[in-house]
Amino acid sequence: MRKAGKYFLILVLLVSTFLFSQPYKGSTIKVLVWDDALTVAVESMIKQFENETGIKVVFERIPSGSILEKLALSVSGSKADYDLVSVDEPFVPQVGNLFMPYSAWPEGKIYSKIDLERDLIPGVAEGSFWNGEYRGLPINGNVYVWLTRKDIVNNEQYKKEFMQKYGYELDIPQTFDQLLDISEYLSTKGIYGFAPFTKNAEGATCEAIFMFESYGTNVLVQVGEHDFEVVLDKEKAVEALKMYKELCKFAPPGWEDMGHSERIAAFNQGKVFSMFQWPAIVPDHENKDQSVVAGKIYYGAPPAGPAKRAAIRGTWMLGIPNASKNKEAAAEFAYWWSSYEAGKELVKVGMTPARTDLLLDPKYVEQKPYFVGIFNSMRYSVSRPRIEKYAEVSDVIKVNWLAGVTGRVTPEVAIDNIIKGVNEVLEKYGY
Amino acid sequence: MKRKKIKKAIIIIVSILILIVELFPILIIVLNGFKRDIDIWSGNPFSFKPTLQSYKKIFQRSDVWLGLKNSILVGLISTIISLIVGAMASYAIARFDFKYRETVAYSFLVSRMIPQISLAIPLFMMFRFINLIDTLPALIFAHMSFNIPYVVWVLLPFFSDVPKEYEEAALVDGCDKKKIFWKIFLPLVAPGVVVAGVFTFMMSWNEFLYALVLTSSQAKTAPVVINGFMGQYAPLWGQLAAAGTIMLIPNFVITLLFQRYLIEGMSGGIKG
Amino acid sequence: MVTKKEKRIGEKSPVLYFILPAIILVAVILIFPLLFALGISFFNWDLIDESARGFIGFSNFVNIFKDKSFWNALFLQLGFIFIAIPIETVIGFFVAMLLNREFKGVKVIRSLLLLPVFVLPVLSGLTWRLMLQPEYGAISFLLTKIGVSQTTWLAKPTTAYAAVIIQDIWRMWPFMFMFLYSGLINIPPSLIEAADLDGAGFWDKVFKIILPLLKPTFTTAILLRLIDALRIFSEVFVMTEGGPGNATTLLSLYIYKQAFRYFNIGYASAMGIILTIISLTIAIFLVRKNMMMESA
Repeated sequence: MRKAGKYFLILVLLVSTFLFSQPYKGSTIKVLVWDDALTVAVESMIKQFENETGIKVVFERIPSGSILEKLALSVSGSKADYDLVSVDEPFVPQVGNLFMPYSAWPEGKIYSKIDLERDLIPGVAEGSFWNGEYRGLPINGNVYVWLTRKDIVNNEQYKKEFMQKYGYELDIPQTFDQLLDISEYLSTKGIYGFAPFTKNAEGATCEAIFMFESYGTNVLVQVGEHDFEVVLDKEKAVEALKMYKELCKFAPPGWEDMGHSERIAAFNQGKVFSMFQWPAIVPDHENKDQSVVAGKIYYGAPPAGPAKRAAIRGTWMLGIPNASKNKEAAAEFAYWWSSYEAGKELVKVGMTPARTDLLLDPKYVEQKPYFVGIFNSMRYSVSRPRIEKYAEVSDVIKVNWLAGVTGRVTPEVAIDNIIKGVNEVLEKYGY
Repeated sequence: MKRKKIKKAIIIIVSILILIVELFPILIIVLNGFKRDIDIWSGNPFSFKPTLQSYKKIFQRSDVWLGLKNSILVGLISTIISLIVGAMASYAIARFDFKYRETVAYSFLVSRMIPQISLAIPLFMMFRFINLIDTLPALIFAHMSFNIPYVVWVLLPFFSDVPKEYEEAALVDGCDKKKIFWKIFLPLVAPGVVVAGVFTFMMSWNEFLYALVLTSSQAKTAPVVINGFMGQYAPLWGQLAAAGTIMLIPNFVITLLFQRYLIEGMSGGIKG
Repeated sequence: MVTKKEKRIGEKSPVLYFILPAIILVAVILIFPLLFALGISFFNWDLIDESARGFIGFSNFVNIFKDKSFWNALFLQLGFIFIAIPIETVIGFFVAMLLNREFKGVKVIRSLLLLPVFVLPVLSGLTWRLMLQPEYGAISFLLTKIGVSQTTWLAKPTTAYAAVIIQDIWRMWPFMFMFLYSGLINIPPSLIEAADLDGAGFWDKVFKIILPLLKPTFTTAILLRLIDALRIFSEVFVMTEGGPGNATTLLSLYIYKQAFRYFNIGYASAMGIILTIISLTIAIFLVRKNMMMESA
């Protein structure tokens, strides 16, 4: 009898530890994310999460460009084929209402709920804000970080010559005017001062907004719940565009059609002095096999315009659809992904964390010099226009900005066309 | 005599020059498949050391295998179904006299001229409604929308060319019309069926728009995978070229093997 | 009376047996979708925002009529067709003339010339995109060798549009060649020889003998190309994505963008209906004018 009791006790203990350690035993969640090195790494770690929680994870990676379409197909107010979906920042307004406000997310049973203000770097959470609520958990610290060649600004001879000619010290450019001076000076040394983004892609919209914000203006402002107004200040915007054109005079040949690959190649070959970059690509610049400038780059916030410093933010958030039936398990997965422990591993494959403790961890300051740069840059982060019909607004800005930058139309006409075009979009949708 | 010789030499040289221009892009594709990406980026298209790196890489990618598998499945299944129903309809139009015969025939012809993009949207909405997006059946159905009308018209002249005596002899032997089709006509037009099948498969193999619109991760076909090599940040030209070369092989084999039938295949029954 | 009726049924039923499967399938995957598209073109139908859906009558069509981008896209699509096809026809014809003679290797040349026609459209678009890259593209490389300065071909509206057309000409003139050559070899040599005896020059022969005889072949080949060109999408989509600006956004690309980037399904469907009507009008006009059914 006593023996039997002992066995019984052991059995109860065993079962209960099993039950308590895997509180979600038997639940399955479906997760939809974009496809890149980071999400591949997350997928490779899922086993660990499954063992600890008992949640089975179906992890679907698709090209970032198709996420919105897939979301439109599979998530609505009443049905959700996914329990957790990643959304790129500019599209949060379009789909935000489909997602449960972060304030309503349950506390985690195994991983603790992330405190958006305390745990994350300042500024990052704004990307998931829409209609008075945070619509999800920001998952990466994605923001413009400004690259400058340390070896060039520290070159003694350059320093001397520059001082003589321009009357101030050659250093990391703090304003566009300084960047322009340095670019002009470096053109005599066969170095291009600047590499723009001019491919017909979202990157061009980012550049336009970056310049507008630095010059103290923006395209849209929300007035009232379902109304927007075009607030682009023509004078400031024209100045911004003209400055960008000036900088492009010191860009490498082929600058009229530069996308990510061209910019990476030009910078890695040591031809370019200074430019913005997205954190996900920075490891390419620090890879000694591909880049002759590895170890020679200073990372910081972008130079300031007359109004302020601005850095375009582009974070992904994880959102839980209102119609999901596994909200608790989905939240648990998001908390795990954002945890310090998982982050430690993900940082190794190139994740730029949204957590302050990871980004500023002394361990990485040496290894990942750009983490501090990201942290600094995020303080100046700005959004692209936040409106449900972002894709169309972005196309209007992109097309006309590029027409102005490449000289197909004058800067004045380009800005006029942006104002006119965005107004037409607003009108079309009855804002 | 001498002038004739010079003229001939000029003709040969011009012909070869034209050929070089025409084959140049294809050569680029094939060569790039054997280059390291760094050589592709370097500019000079002809200086490189051949390597199988890109081929190794693409065969390690599960999406390439998935894309090829889906392409083959969609191509084969839509071809087989289109051949069966298309041949039957073609036979009826060619050998029977019935009301609305011409209307039916021309409807098939005209339906080939509907722009794909106009169909892609409603097909997308339909398949979305019945939850078939990103599945092979959706893509197979979509491909049949251009394959069936094509098969009907390619086979028309083949069926028409069968002499009446065969039919009459069979009728005397007591075959009914259905049997005549399966037992007598189908074997007689076998070359036509092969031509139709080969070209139908190739149209499916090349198709991109429906695959782009109707699939995302599970049912995507090889052309979509190839386009995916353009990537978000930097294009993987080497792998793109290697996969592209593989996709070209069946097309070129068909072109060279079916020389005699190219016109029939390409015109799909449309004759001036 | 009875026997007659039986015979009629007997004749009718095999027709249905043979033709119904095809008709049903085509109805389900072609006719029904088109009607569906027609229906939805009277709606405002946002793919994501369920609240922004509703019947709006002819508003989509009215808006399309006022949409400058639509007219631009339509213009580009028609321009594409009316520039590319004539050039392809002319090149195809003269190469057919050139190769309509025997010399060593001519057979190989004739076969190899056809290969571009069978390159996948996606691959063709991507390859041209690669070849035109200013820094490392093969065409740019060769052009700089003969002194043309490095240019971003695909970043300038005119050159990008030209490049898209040249890509199509490269791929499709051999198609014209194939048809016209097959027509040429059927012209009896005696006709040409007779003209030679009359002392006719090259152009006389072309205009007075060859072109009239080849007219049906020309019609077929052009009709086929036209059908194909009205549907063009993938090559341009992967080559330029419609850019720079809207310089290569053909109507098919604009419809795609409205449907799958902006999620305006109703508006895109309405444009799809318009494109269908244009295509079918051209096609039916040509078919009626030039075609007779092959079958007896």
